[in-house]
Amino acid sequence: MNKILYIIVPGILFLAFGANWVIQKADRSHDIPIIKEVPDFIFHDQAGRLFSNERLANKITVLDFMFTSCTGPCPLMTSNMTDLYQEFRNVMEVQFVSVTVDPLIDSESKLKEYADFVGVDDDRWQFIRSDLESTKDLKQNGFMLYAGELPQGHAIKFVLIDQDGNIRKYFDGTDEASLAVLRKDITNLVKELRS
Amino acid sequence: MTSFRNFIFLSTGLTYLLIFIGGLVRVAGAGMGCPDWPKCFGRWIPPTSIEQIPSHIDPATFNIVLAWIEYCNRLFGAIVGLSITITLFLGLKHYSHLPHIKWPLISAFGLTLFEGWLGSVLIDTVLNPVTITLHLFFALIIVMLLLYVSQEAYYLDNPDAEKQSKYPSNMKALFGLLAFTLLFEVILGTEIRGGLEMIRKENPMVNSQFLIDMLGPFKYAHSILGFFITVLCALLWYRVVKQSLNPSNLMVQTSTGLLLLIMVQIITGEVLVFFDVIPLIQLFHLWIASWILGIISVQYCAWKRSGLIDE
Repeated sequence: MNKILYIIVPGILFLAFGANWVIQKADRSHDIPIIKEVPDFIFHDQAGRLFSNERLANKITVLDFMFTSCTGPCPLMTSNMTDLYQEFRNVMEVQFVSVTVDPLIDSESKLKEYADFVGVDDDRWQFIRSDLESTKDLKQNGFMLYAGELPQGHAIKFVLIDQDGNIRKYFDGTDEASLAVLRKDITNLVKELRS
Repeated sequence: MTSFRNFIFLSTGLTYLLIFIGGLVRVAGAGMGCPDWPKCFGRWIPPTSIEQIPSHIDPATFNIVLAWIEYCNRLFGAIVGLSITITLFLGLKHYSHLPHIKWPLISAFGLTLFEGWLGSVLIDTVLNPVTITLHLFFALIIVMLLLYVSQEAYYLDNPDAEKQSKYPSNMKALFGLLAFTLLFEVILGTEIRGGLEMIRKENPMVNSQFLIDMLGPFKYAHSILGFFITVLCALLWYRVVKQSLNPSNLMVQTSTGLLLLIMVQIITGEVLVFFDVIPLIQLFHLWIASWILGIISVQYCAWKRSGLIDE
């Protein structure tokens, strides 16, 4: 019997360590690498309040670039963003930010009107604006997205930003499969934030 | 003959390991690591980069770590299948005249094929909870059949084993009741696990403690039945160790081992309920349950063979 124990005990320890290693590997396989930090910026939201990069702290943010009079891919992007906004209604850590790339037309009141139109009824989704130069700079240098011919040439990406203001991943804001992954990633980042 | 004995022991051990690996796939969340069957992303060896994924499969489902975990499970399953096939071949060659060896072997082989098919159904139904439970249930039946044949093969070479011992004659009901409640307890346990996963899917943000509270009566049923099993095992120990004449070492040691394992199960179970659903503990909780079933099967087989005391 003792001889059997000499085989069984190390065998079980080996299995336990091995299984633990595999479980951790599987857990970490959901990790999302950090791409870069969002640079400092100071914009204004639809109510005229300051909105700076500090507002990204301790939140999981989904950010996109759009403009209210866009008839191209924006309606679909906004519709997809609205779905996410509604789905994560009870998760206070998740916020949404839409940056207008057409600040000449999209005044604060215009953004406010648009926010009401898509059904925003709390602080979890902000529409922010600045002058065209700052917007271009933030888009091109801050988020590494093409900003050649604004407003038409805006990107259709949704950007996932973590609680420390780091860009974690880009998603196609018009593609269902890409957004399915975004949902999973938001959930994983919130879990990470809570733990 | 010795080669048969070696292979039946090997198959039994490997099947136990496969149950462990299957549980590991489950707690690691790698069940859908390969979204197709029997290939993995359309390949016999899983892809190592996203470019290798065929166009009809959604690339969002690709996770290289999970794919390889599931693939190792399938590979190991294939090895176990091969080992059981060789065992069947050797068994039929040498012992086709012994029905108590031949039929359990054929059944184990048939169920192994069935398990492979059930594995494909699991992928087709995207891990349907009932199918997962059946997949485990038949694995337990297979391992018990293999253990039974292993033991009978051992007795063929050691015809005097258990012949000196005398156990109480009316224990059949106790063994039957234990095996039945244990199997039922395992199913209840997998229901709890399945329930947890379902609630977690719908409410990804809630913590595990809240999840367990949401489960409601299931967990009490599992605990109450666990208590009943503890009493039955204590009774079994009493009958085998105290009420028998000259019980064999095998019987005494497995009886004591059984009580120890039951204690481990109570502790790990309470840790899962009161602290956190720790995947590694969840895995061992299930695996040890399969050992307990194995021990019951071994004891029954030894008891059946011995001289019995009429009461």
